[in-house]
Amino acid sequence: MENEQRSTRTLGDPIVITDGVKKWFGDFQALKGVTATVREREVVVIIGPSGSGKSTYIRCINRLEAHQEGTIIVDGTELTNDIKNIEKIRSEVGMVFQQFNLFPHLTVLDNITLAPQWVRKQPKAETEEYAMELLERVGIPEQADKYPGQLSGGQQQRVAIARSLAMKPRIMLFDEPTSALDPEMIKEVLDVMKELAHGGMTMMVVTHEMGFAREVADRVMFFDYGTIVEEGTPEHFFTNPQHDRTKLFLSQIL
Amino acid sequence: MSDMAVAPDLELAPEPPPKGLRIWLRDNLFSTPASGVLSVAAILVVIFALRGLLNFIFDPLRRWDAVTYNMRLLMVQAYPTDAMWRVWLAVGIVVVLLAATFAAWRIGGMLEPRQVSKTLMALGGGIALAGILGPFSATATVLWLVVAAVLAGTGFATGRLTGDRAKDPIIPVMAIIGIILLLIVVVLWILKVPVPGKIVEGNLITDGAEAAGLRGEQVKVLRSLSNTTRMPWTIIFALGALAFVSVRMFSARAVATLKRVLVPTWVAAFPVLVLILLRDPVWRWGNFGSVYVGAIVGFSVVGGVILWFVSRPSTGEIGRVIGGLLLVLAFVSFLFPMPFVFRFLMLALALFTLAGPTFGGETSRSLVTAWVVTAAVLSFFVFTTASESGIDVPGNFFLGGLSLTIVLAFTSIVLSFPLGVILALGRTSTMPLFRLMSTVYIELVRGVPLITWLLVAFLMLPVALPQGIEIGGVMRAVGAMTFFSAAYLAENVRGGLQSIPGGQREAARALGMSTVQMIVFITLPQALRAVIPALVGQVIALFKDTSLVTIVGLFDFLHLARAVIPAQSQPFSFLGSIKETLIFAAIVYWMFTFTFSRISQRLEKKLGVGER
Amino acid sequence: MTVEVRQHQKTPLWRNATVLKWASQVFVLFMLLFLFGALGSRATDNFAQSDISFGWDWLSNPTGVQIREGIDTLPDSGARALTVGIINTMRVAISGIFVATLIGTIIGIARLSSNWIVNKLATVYIETIRNIPLLVQIFFWSALAVGLPSLTAEDVGTYWFKTSNRGFAFSWVFPDGGFWPWLVFIAVGFFVGRWLLRRRRQHQEDTGEPGHGGWYMAASILVFAVVGWFAWPVLSFMEPVLEAIEKFVANLPQIIVPIVIALGAIAASVWWIRGFFESRRTPAGFGKLTDDDWFRVVFAGFAGIAIAVVAFVIGEFTIKTVAGEVLSVAELAIVGVSNFFGWLGAKFNATDANTVIEGIRSGGPLVFERPQVILAGGAQIPQFGSSGMVLTVPFFAIWTGVTVYTASFIAEIVRGGILAVPKGQTEASMALGLKRSQYLRQIILPQAFRIILPPLGNQYLNLAKNTSLGIAVAFADIVAVGVTIVNQTGQSLPVVLVWMAFFLTVSLSISAVVNYYNRRMQLVER
Repeated sequence: MENEQRSTRTLGDPIVITDGVKKWFGDFQALKGVTATVREREVVVIIGPSGSGKSTYIRCINRLEAHQEGTIIVDGTELTNDIKNIEKIRSEVGMVFQQFNLFPHLTVLDNITLAPQWVRKQPKAETEEYAMELLERVGIPEQADKYPGQLSGGQQQRVAIARSLAMKPRIMLFDEPTSALDPEMIKEVLDVMKELAHGGMTMMVVTHEMGFAREVADRVMFFDYGTIVEEGTPEHFFTNPQHDRTKLFLSQIL
Repeated sequence: MSDMAVAPDLELAPEPPPKGLRIWLRDNLFSTPASGVLSVAAILVVIFALRGLLNFIFDPLRRWDAVTYNMRLLMVQAYPTDAMWRVWLAVGIVVVLLAATFAAWRIGGMLEPRQVSKTLMALGGGIALAGILGPFSATATVLWLVVAAVLAGTGFATGRLTGDRAKDPIIPVMAIIGIILLLIVVVLWILKVPVPGKIVEGNLITDGAEAAGLRGEQVKVLRSLSNTTRMPWTIIFALGALAFVSVRMFSARAVATLKRVLVPTWVAAFPVLVLILLRDPVWRWGNFGSVYVGAIVGFSVVGGVILWFVSRPSTGEIGRVIGGLLLVLAFVSFLFPMPFVFRFLMLALALFTLAGPTFGGETSRSLVTAWVVTAAVLSFFVFTTASESGIDVPGNFFLGGLSLTIVLAFTSIVLSFPLGVILALGRTSTMPLFRLMSTVYIELVRGVPLITWLLVAFLMLPVALPQGIEIGGVMRAVGAMTFFSAAYLAENVRGGLQSIPGGQREAARALGMSTVQMIVFITLPQALRAVIPALVGQVIALFKDTSLVTIVGLFDFLHLARAVIPAQSQPFSFLGSIKETLIFAAIVYWMFTFTFSRISQRLEKKLGVGER
Repeated sequence: MTVEVRQHQKTPLWRNATVLKWASQVFVLFMLLFLFGALGSRATDNFAQSDISFGWDWLSNPTGVQIREGIDTLPDSGARALTVGIINTMRVAISGIFVATLIGTIIGIARLSSNWIVNKLATVYIETIRNIPLLVQIFFWSALAVGLPSLTAEDVGTYWFKTSNRGFAFSWVFPDGGFWPWLVFIAVGFFVGRWLLRRRRQHQEDTGEPGHGGWYMAASILVFAVVGWFAWPVLSFMEPVLEAIEKFVANLPQIIVPIVIALGAIAASVWWIRGFFESRRTPAGFGKLTDDDWFRVVFAGFAGIAIAVVAFVIGEFTIKTVAGEVLSVAELAIVGVSNFFGWLGAKFNATDANTVIEGIRSGGPLVFERPQVILAGGAQIPQFGSSGMVLTVPFFAIWTGVTVYTASFIAEIVRGGILAVPKGQTEASMALGLKRSQYLRQIILPQAFRIILPPLGNQYLNLAKNTSLGIAVAFADIVAVGVTIVNQTGQSLPVVLVWMAFFLTVSLSISAVVNYYNRRMQLVER
């Protein structure tokens, strides 16, 4: 049945291309030449020990961090110092954070409509209508007028997902979306993510949820010391890892 | 330590320890021998100090009539009598707005009857003590004691009547404020104050104009307040109460609408009040038609076109470049002679253009509308300030006394706000030059005392300004205090900005917001909310600092109290009454700052608990 | 896997984030420079029209300023007048800081007292004083002092303490001829004491016996003070040494001044750039520098060179001195430094201290004096004589004002600091079996002090700045003296620059001291 889920998607053209991406923080090299391609409608799960550069990698893709060497091409646009390209890419790439990062001074509805209204310059009524639709999808339409502080962690993360989706992104990045959640809330977030994958969204997910990787991912990448050590389909990756590092990591985590 | 005893859930808490005066004294004053000695010494100090104070205040030689006779001088200085309605109108607007705001946002909270009862009884005790220690006649002492007994009795009754609910917060603060205001109104109608009079050929003359130049023995007489004082206050407080009560009876929906209206009203109220107080422009139609109408129409059309162009979604960067060029033009315009209205409109247009690409797009039509309205309003204000005033006044700036102090403080705080925010943003910026410039400004301004900046404004500014630009004394003081207070404000706001988690900025960036949008929608609202108590503290400090303008020769409240009144000899002599006037000044300043500091404390508590 | 990249052309300048960032910064910087330039040139024009040109001549020329109190009431030059003002400011500030700290600490602790009436009295003090503008309080103290009885012919005599409407006079200890050499002795005693203190601490750590290091240190300072009291003339050899330095400096070529400054500026920028590269270093060589980093490096280098060039240009500017000589700024700097050493040398003159140096009263380092009321002038008016410490009414008003006012703020800081130490600390100390005095001294106070220190430093700074309100009661502090000079000479800009230099020096020194202690306390913490 899991395979059925995946097989309903047909992968499209490459949409994110990274080639030899390097990144330093002062004297620490976080990325040591990462080369990978993600295709449209593909779900890529990135795993690896902490400090391995996996978060830095996906943060480079919407330029929350600027890479220093190599090329990143997102949806045919190369990420350079060009502010116009940065703005364009950021509005096409949604991102969900570990700490939710909802805006505490705005209601849930305002959190979702703010960016479409001012960045996409859409009329207010239209954005509100779409926001309600998204809240239905993530299952909490009744919370629209509450403030983030009044919601549970799982609800907050679902609002954060809705907030990203409101920009109608072509790619969604997830940076450990369930790490800050209590176990009973993880499922509700993962369900939303599964449904999103099912709907054909291109997703890059940094996570420690191996179940999610097995069930949904088209491809799993294993990061260590700033490089991709190993990648492959979940079946291949979890049952027959090639690399010693990968074996060690999996033996520790599973 | 008793509360540390481990008790099963259902067991009742032990009886509270018995209460009583003796036990309270033992616990709070005589817990140890050393504490006992300290208490006795402190009690002696209190008695001695209180007695000295009362003897000073009620000494028949004290010239309290110097204060009462000069009350209008102290409040508004030379403001013309027939224009006093403007002052009352301004006060009235503020009171009604305050009442509506308090009611709409439900500010105030509740008090426990126990607290109220305690405070009243303590107040009664204090008054009784004063009645006994003061230099009063037997009847006066009895009167004091009666007042004390009424207060203490009310307090006692409050405690007893509420009984079990004495510890629940059930008394609204606003009700108590209402009662106090009612009492003030009653007192205004029955109070008798000492005023000076002259006995000329057996006739008592208390009217200043009549007594001027006449020789005679000066005496003090007790008179009630005139109707020109007590009537306006009564009406204003009644209107305030009416506003409060009616807003409280509004439906939730109406209150929500009111809240949305009130914020811009407050913003607009500031210039409107200044206008009411200071300006009654003479409408020179020729001048208005040639310069102002032209300016409004021209700038509306040109600005409208520019704004419509730059706020189209496709014109991002070009818009910012045009805005930058307009900004340069606006700066340059200050170097060449031209009507002021052009300079201000140019500056405003530059700012609008810079904001256009960020906030335009779908809303470009409303941006153009906003610009036309701004241009018209701005021109109107420039016109009213630049043209002669119809209010018949001596000198070129006639507002003085307490009203000048208040105008100075609030103008400076309002003007320093944007500058302070910009400086704070600069200082927390990732761009090193902005950080450097802001840091240099902030440290330079804060490192040097305000009085030197005031002296700079008064000694140096006149020579450094381009020809044709003259700035009056009050504006110079406002300028110096604005630049000074902006540096302090910047440090407060910086604290708020730094308290925002980095994730907020990342989230805004990830949603594609530009830096300006991120600041306006995400970081600033949160930062300002976090520093509201500190900002109130800044208002207090600035209010106290306004007293410094007396050194550079402005006729503010303190200057009148310290230098003007104690030097009066005609029509009545108040020579040497400086201690009385200074004490009055101290009390007035104290009432303002104490109120503000209490508001700040409440806000701190409220925001600390957090509504998030 | 070939993908068409739509926008792989070179980024245009107006869309390059780094360029935009720096362009906007430089744009604003130039805008500000332009604004100041415009104001400055306008000021120069206006002054040219009124025949006043800004300069520093007034520093060495007589300005006709009379000062009501201080070390010199009829200063012969602007610099001297400002010095008097500075010393008056410092007097108020330093003594005020000590007393305000004392009162503030007492009130702050009283505010925490469990004794109800003491607690309430402290609250009343704080809430009254800090909600009334300082200026009102200063005027009030002034009015109070002016209301005191005046001196009469019957008051003539010597007193321990005497008040009148002309001020307050009390007995005081003054520095005397041997003061500076004696200070050197005490300083030596202090360093010896510190060395002893460290040794004793080491001893305590090694053996566990109580070290009594503090006592050793105090004893050392005391011994050196006592010995120095008698032996200070021994140091008179310092005089020729310092005089030799004076001569050496005076003979230096003037080009040395801009060279030193330029070398310093360039060295600083090179040092910064080196440090910057170091911080970007990776194990595999230098890390990647972003465009932004390059901009920073270029800017730092540019700033260093600019300061160096400006130093040479300014060094050539000339100034006319009192004797009509024309000296360049560089020469003036050399003369200033050399004079400083000459002045310092004179302080060690032991041979004819009693006659030569002005203000000497006896041979020792210190002298004790009691105030006198004498009859002076042709009309035989009773007034305070020159002995003892006489505080004028303005001094009393400003001193009492700032001290009482600042104390109320310090009290709140002390209270907050003590309350901020977590309760768990007390409980943990009690659990360890420490005595109350032990845990107060070892646990609570050090932590409270760490919290208190930064805001306390701020209050000291405020106190120093608030002394400038003395101008309102005609107290001759640096601001009041400056205003008088401006009125006499019209040199507003230079005087303002002197004010700024003075107050910035004070604030930087205070924050340097606070930062030093802060860092030390934090090191102790770790």
